[in-house]
Amino acid sequence: MSAAAQQQSSSVADRVQLEVQRAIQRSIKGVEYFGSAAPVLGNTPKDILHSRGTMKLYHYRPVADEIYRVPILFVMATTNRGYILDMVPGLSLVEFLLKKGFDVYMLDWTAPRPEERGLKFEDYVLDFIPDCVRRVQQDSGETDVSVIGYCFGGVLSLLYASIFNDGPMRNLICFTTPIDFRQMKLFQNFSDRRYFDVDKLVDSVGNVPPELIFQSFEMLRPAARSMSQIQLWENMWNDEFVKSYRMFDRWAQDTLPLAGEYFRQTTKDLMWDNKLYEKTMTVGGRRADISRIKVPILHAVAEHDHIVPYDAAKPLIANVGSTDKEEVVLKGGHVSLVAGANAVKRLWPKLDSWLSERST
Amino acid sequence: MADKGTDPMQMWHSFLGDMEKQMNSMSTQALGSEEFSRLMGQMTGASAGAKKAFGDFMEKYLAAMNLPSRNELIDLGERLHSIEGRLNDIMSLLQRVHADVVASDAAATGAPRPPRTKRPPSQSKGKT
Repeated sequence: MSAAAQQQSSSVADRVQLEVQRAIQRSIKGVEYFGSAAPVLGNTPKDILHSRGTMKLYHYRPVADEIYRVPILFVMATTNRGYILDMVPGLSLVEFLLKKGFDVYMLDWTAPRPEERGLKFEDYVLDFIPDCVRRVQQDSGETDVSVIGYCFGGVLSLLYASIFNDGPMRNLICFTTPIDFRQMKLFQNFSDRRYFDVDKLVDSVGNVPPELIFQSFEMLRPAARSMSQIQLWENMWNDEFVKSYRMFDRWAQDTLPLAGEYFRQTTKDLMWDNKLYEKTMTVGGRRADISRIKVPILHAVAEHDHIVPYDAAKPLIANVGSTDKEEVVLKGGHVSLVAGANAVKRLWPKLDSWLSERST
Repeated sequence: MADKGTDPMQMWHSFLGDMEKQMNSMSTQALGSEEFSRLMGQMTGASAGAKKAFGDFMEKYLAAMNLPSRNELIDLGERLHSIEGRLNDIMSLLQRVHADVVASDAAATGAPRPPRTKRPPSQSKGKT
């Protein structure tokens, strides 16, 4: 046998030995996995400032000795829980911002109650967000507030910023926020107006069940779940991988139902008529044209976002009226843009540098 | 270690990655078709219809058993919600009227807040 062949044979043997060790570890840790409790998420110390039905306003306790003047209000997507922005220490955007000296508030959502099936854009944009902004102003003692909206929280923030364009918003940051809903091809097909009877659905079920929302997201990448489970088994020996998998899996499955009327409006106004992009959107009779937004704005989008494709998010910066505006396209997907190891390296430092310059 | 070409685990991972891409791509094509859209619309409609029919049946059954139906409980919830809303409005009004009291309460009970004097790194360079 030649020296090269001998070396290759021994390296394959090493690899087999490594795999055997990992297989043993998988079996041991696999038992631990099913026997252990789910990780505790969203545990950064905070106070509930206000709670009303589906709406919750949190204030995270500052940790820096000196903080920036302008507080931040996160507006979470209505489909998911806000703890994606506050996973565990070291992987929490909220904790990162607190350590960098920001004063952080979050408008988070709980499942709308059956009697809240009538909530509409009017409630979210003309009531919930202004109410929270007012409470942030009152609690912080500052007039200016920076708003950060994630995904559909970004859409709500844009509607709010368009209507209340004379203040008190100081800065607007959107994470993966769709504007041109025609470009959300699969969602367009799921809600094709020729076949999808949104009125019948909403009139029958009231609030749209979380299973339907979760399945819609899952259908965008049908193989992803099976593959991620194979990956989990392969990496069962790796504690960090398992911890991260459990966090994200728990969050992804913790999908919220959507208020029926809000879902009906989203389908008709945004998915069917694309009113935000066409600049014909109104909320409670008030025009919500994003070209009226004049505040500094940052839009962070993900290169491989399967939920909000880049083409759906791209027109935002081009269409707002702000002069101080920036789009940043980062590697990653819809979730890894904001949370996880990828976000720690890419989005978070960018957010800190952009916002710190505009928060005094 | 074996090189990438001969490492069986590496080959397995590549195979899995390629398979996932292919499956997702095939599914995207199928899910993007008009046929799927029509089928999904029908299924959602049928499922919503079945749910409504079952709900109607249960309502009659509960009435026969002299038990409150879900809708009646929801109505009750709505009334509680409306009371809760009014209480919130009253609290907001009180807070606005007595902002000074709220502020002094917060100062008395809450931890002291750090000063809002922080400058961005670009402006604090050279500051001692």
